[in-house]
Amino acid sequence: MPELQAGERRRYWLSLAALVVVLPAAVLAHTWGSLTQWWANNGRDPINVERGAAQRYAGAEWRMTGLSVLPIGSTGRSVVLAEFEARIEDPAVLMESPCVVALTDAGGRRWQPRFTVHRIVREQRPEAAEKPNCGGLTPEQVQAGATVKMAETFVVPADVDGLALSLIKPNALPGNLVLR
Amino acid sequence: MSGRLKGLAAVLFAAVVLYAMQHTTPFYSEIISQVPVSGRLGERVDARDFALVAGRVNLARALETESYGSTKTYTTSGVWILVEAVAEAKRESMALTSAEWIGPSGVRYGLSQRLSNVPGMVQTANFEPGLAMPFLMAFEVPENELSGGTLLVSRSLLMPLAEQVRMPVPDLPADRIRSTIAIGPAGGELPWTLEAK
Repeated sequence: MPELQAGERRRYWLSLAALVVVLPAAVLAHTWGSLTQWWANNGRDPINVERGAAQRYAGAEWRMTGLSVLPIGSTGRSVVLAEFEARIEDPAVLMESPCVVALTDAGGRRWQPRFTVHRIVREQRPEAAEKPNCGGLTPEQVQAGATVKMAETFVVPADVDGLALSLIKPNALPGNLVLR
Repeated sequence: MSGRLKGLAAVLFAAVVLYAMQHTTPFYSEIISQVPVSGRLGERVDARDFALVAGRVNLARALETESYGSTKTYTTSGVWILVEAVAEAKRESMALTSAEWIGPSGVRYGLSQRLSNVPGMVQTANFEPGLAMPFLMAFEVPENELSGGTLLVSRSLLMPLAEQVRMPVPDLPADRIRSTIAIGPAGGELPWTLEAK
């Protein structure tokens, strides 16, 4: 077999090197639309807010006012009552998309809120039981300058720790409010 | 000459490989199909999103439920399979929306929707992380599809690569079939009581 000329040898190695760059670039270009769509839907940029501090997010200024753990007898379960408020700045932005709320723990587990207020909350914290859910605000409640007090309840194992309330408005993604 | 022969052989080899690849390429639905996780009845089975223990398998010709003081009877031309189980979510609150019974012939039977509103049924259950939740699954199958069946439970049939728990249920003799099983309200730690009649 004839010896390769120096120029041919260089072209051979250049082609191989180009393949390493071009192949991933082609895959990336082909999937770019799907990747950006996935990030828009699933991307999370946590905005941590410590207890009592306020944070502007999705047309309001949010603040956690209480996170109470109410044990359910000796069942090994507890009801977590999360109370928070929003001082409304832009009602249109606030009402533009639904409110997705979850309780998280130190291990990254996520609990969805209960549809109905737990009996224990009615017994021990009746004033909180009357507060609306984040997803249940009416246009009458959402007025510029008004402060709306809300509450959500969750049922969790009694031994959870590092609890925080995750609040997402899809129109504010990838921002994800984490109230501690 | 030998160089040409080698070249021809390489082309032929490549053609054969390409032909084989073309004819063994799985369908997209197969690539993203559910991942089986095998388990045994009465033992805890851990999938990625949930853990499941399927316990007693009850058989009956009819099921009775009580609602607002009135009794409803659900008859069938086959047999009711009523499976008692416990599950807990691992990472996030979730539902188990898919459960199937595969009979010994390979025919698949989905959950009966006739009892989907009865408290305790899997369709009404919400599973939370770290909290074991008992529930029932009801299937309506012909009598010859009982013994040698397999129970399949997964979070959703629509989730690509979701894990599906598979539990073989080898022996269900006909003498275990009750005339009627009444599903009553909460009793003790369970959200239901079962009474054979």
